[in-house]
Amino acid sequence: MSSQQKEAENSFKMVLTKERVCEIIAFSVMRSMTYFVLFSAGFLFWDIISKGSKKIFEGEGLINWEFLTEHPQTLHVIETNGTKQKLSSNKYYQLKEKKISKQWNAQIGDEKFSQNLNELGTRFDTLFNAASSESIDKLQKLLLGYERNESIQKFDFWISLMEDTKLTAEDFEINEPEVAPMVSTFINGFFSSQSTRLKLLEKQLLQFKANHFPGISNPNAKIITEIKLAYVNFLELNIHLLVKDFLSKSKELKLRAENFLSKPEPKPLGDLVISYSDYKETKQIISSELEEDNAQAIEQLLSELQVIATVEIPSKDFSYSGGGIFPAIVGTFLLVIGAMLIAIILGVFCAIFLAEYGKSGRFLSTIRLAILNLAGVPSIIFGLFGFGLFVIFLDWNVSLIAGWFTLAIMVLPVVITASEESLRSIPQGFRESSLALGASKWTMIRTSVLPYAMPGILTSSILGVARVAGETAPIMFTAAYAKRTELPWENLEHWTDFFFQGVMALPYHIYVVSAKIPQNEYTADMQYGTAFVFLALVFIVASSSIILRNKLRKKYRW
Amino acid sequence: MTDSKKEKKKEKISKQFAISIQGVDFSYGENQVLFDVNLDIPEKKVMAFIGPSGCGKSTLLRTINRMNDLIDNSRISKGKILIQGTDIHDKSVDVIELRKKVGMVFQKSNPFPKSIYQNVAYGLHIQGIKNKRVVDQKVEESLTRAALWEEVKDRLNENAYGLSGGQQQRLCIARTLAVEPEIILMDEPCSALDPVATGRVEELILSLKEQYTIVVVTHNMQQAGRISDETAFFYLGKLIECDQTKTIFLNPSKKQTEDYISGKFG
Repeated sequence: MSSQQKEAENSFKMVLTKERVCEIIAFSVMRSMTYFVLFSAGFLFWDIISKGSKKIFEGEGLINWEFLTEHPQTLHVIETNGTKQKLSSNKYYQLKEKKISKQWNAQIGDEKFSQNLNELGTRFDTLFNAASSESIDKLQKLLLGYERNESIQKFDFWISLMEDTKLTAEDFEINEPEVAPMVSTFINGFFSSQSTRLKLLEKQLLQFKANHFPGISNPNAKIITEIKLAYVNFLELNIHLLVKDFLSKSKELKLRAENFLSKPEPKPLGDLVISYSDYKETKQIISSELEEDNAQAIEQLLSELQVIATVEIPSKDFSYSGGGIFPAIVGTFLLVIGAMLIAIILGVFCAIFLAEYGKSGRFLSTIRLAILNLAGVPSIIFGLFGFGLFVIFLDWNVSLIAGWFTLAIMVLPVVITASEESLRSIPQGFRESSLALGASKWTMIRTSVLPYAMPGILTSSILGVARVAGETAPIMFTAAYAKRTELPWENLEHWTDFFFQGVMALPYHIYVVSAKIPQNEYTADMQYGTAFVFLALVFIVASSSIILRNKLRKKYRW
Repeated sequence: MTDSKKEKKKEKISKQFAISIQGVDFSYGENQVLFDVNLDIPEKKVMAFIGPSGCGKSTLLRTINRMNDLIDNSRISKGKILIQGTDIHDKSVDVIELRKKVGMVFQKSNPFPKSIYQNVAYGLHIQGIKNKRVVDQKVEESLTRAALWEEVKDRLNENAYGLSGGQQQRLCIARTLAVEPEIILMDEPCSALDPVATGRVEELILSLKEQYTIVVVTHNMQQAGRISDETAFFYLGKLIECDQTKTIFLNPSKKQTEDYISGKFG
């Protein structure tokens, strides 16, 4: 028995020929390369999942909801007694407010505090009493008179300059032809100073200037006289706007003051301070006579109160490292859904034409070649194309819809090729028997080809989904914002505005937090966290479409 | 010729022949497959096409309801086909109406991957008939005529692919009957079936003969003998002989026919 076995072993012994050796080496190379691929993939997933999940699962509770539901914010790191407290802007300001109200409440019982409040009340009363004595007419007259005098003086001066250009040239030590340009500069300067001073009338002033542009740029005595008259007219027409503005400002101030005094708290104080400085600004335009004493006292009191209403929490601020990525998640979802919808509709129609209607020939093969070539175009080129066509030429600006079309065109080759494949894989018998039952061609396609091809088309779209969600370059110029505080459905004036707004997107956000902002010890967390969420999302979308496909497949089996 | 005379002539023709094939040449691109075929197919009879593979019998069958329109570069270069006196390649002929009149059953049974009910109702649904009572009635009638009703009446909503091969083929026939054709073309309907299923389908064909004109392409000469009233023998794209089936089998007038039937070639 044993000898027989031995003989058998001998007769089938492997002979190491050159070919066999080459084969063994080749196999081991293939094996190690496969292991390398496996290792790289494993490392990538391990890296992102391990570091990313740290961000997702940090903090209180099981999941870091803040990261998933908040906007990106500045991270404030507060160091107390060696422990670091990381707060996003929202929470930081909440904390601050809390501390302020605590400090404020501590002052309420204080004698000096209530004394100050009382004095502020009487000061404001004085102010408003004085103001109420000024009627609108009086104010208007005052202001008009002042403005008119000022401007007439200036215009008269320029007229005198232009009347005797020779003398003027001597006075200013310039050549005679340069006088007119100089005066022109003066007038221009006057108008721009008026625009900054009378901010409210800026538009009207610009209009006035435009109307008299030829005269202003090439003045002579006669023209300037004309402009002067026109300007006086202009003042008479428009001065009431300034007065009205002032009145509304003082009304607001009165309201705020009452509001604060009836219920002294830090927040109304802030409003009051702003309102007061507004009022003061307009008051200075209306009449230069400000009740100096009273005003100074008010300012003093306000600033004293403000000190109580301020708390400094020393913190190190890292922009973009706090908060969450909610808008980016929403944006990515919107981009994927819209782009895939457009791509599938376009792609399926195109594939139907190619597979069912087109007569095979040079035309069709040219189209196929074009589609194949389209698949090879780098994505940044699609980005530029979309920027040129949709953003600039069609004037859609950086918007969802521009991003949709750009992404749709990018995945179109994938969708078309695969849809055509799955259309062709439908047995010819279905088509023939449908036609033989009296179906028109379109009915045939609609009822007995498309439904059965749908699982295959969806399968191909899954590949498209991952690509659409993942590409950064095409949306960089067409749809993505680095930061947007509003969600896409917030503050829409009209429902169509929804399509014409930019959104944040996960891949672009990763790019922004990795390359566009100053790096610090917290940005890496943000990057990995975003990458992790991104991977998870793509995984969810892909697996749900696989489930859908399998359901459809079960329904249509042949 | 006045219109009324034309009508009368048509009527006369239609009484005698359901299909009249007159001097048809047919080619796929450069490759001519039918040469000057002249053939009249009588009404309410079964006509069998026999001949070796590649002799053009299936092609001829498919030209009768213009199924060859689907194939690029195929055309009838000479002659015409009249169905009930109308040239089916005339511009005024709607191919959809033609195919409703001229149903077709294919070699491979190919029900749609839907329920049995949906399969039979398909032809009605695409015609826009939505009334459920009408459709239900029509489905039952067609399945009964296709001798399938008793077997499937309890599982009308199951997938048609749960049926056996022979049942599937009869379902395809039922599907065709539901559209109410007058002519049924069958392209080797039994070639993929076992003898028992073949027997059932043959019985069915014989029972349908009373209401429909049937044209069957077959490789099985015994089958042609069993079911057909007339037989046409094709060889290399030419119609060699067409006569009563008995005559063809017992007393063929052409040598080629005799050789083929007796099994000397083919």
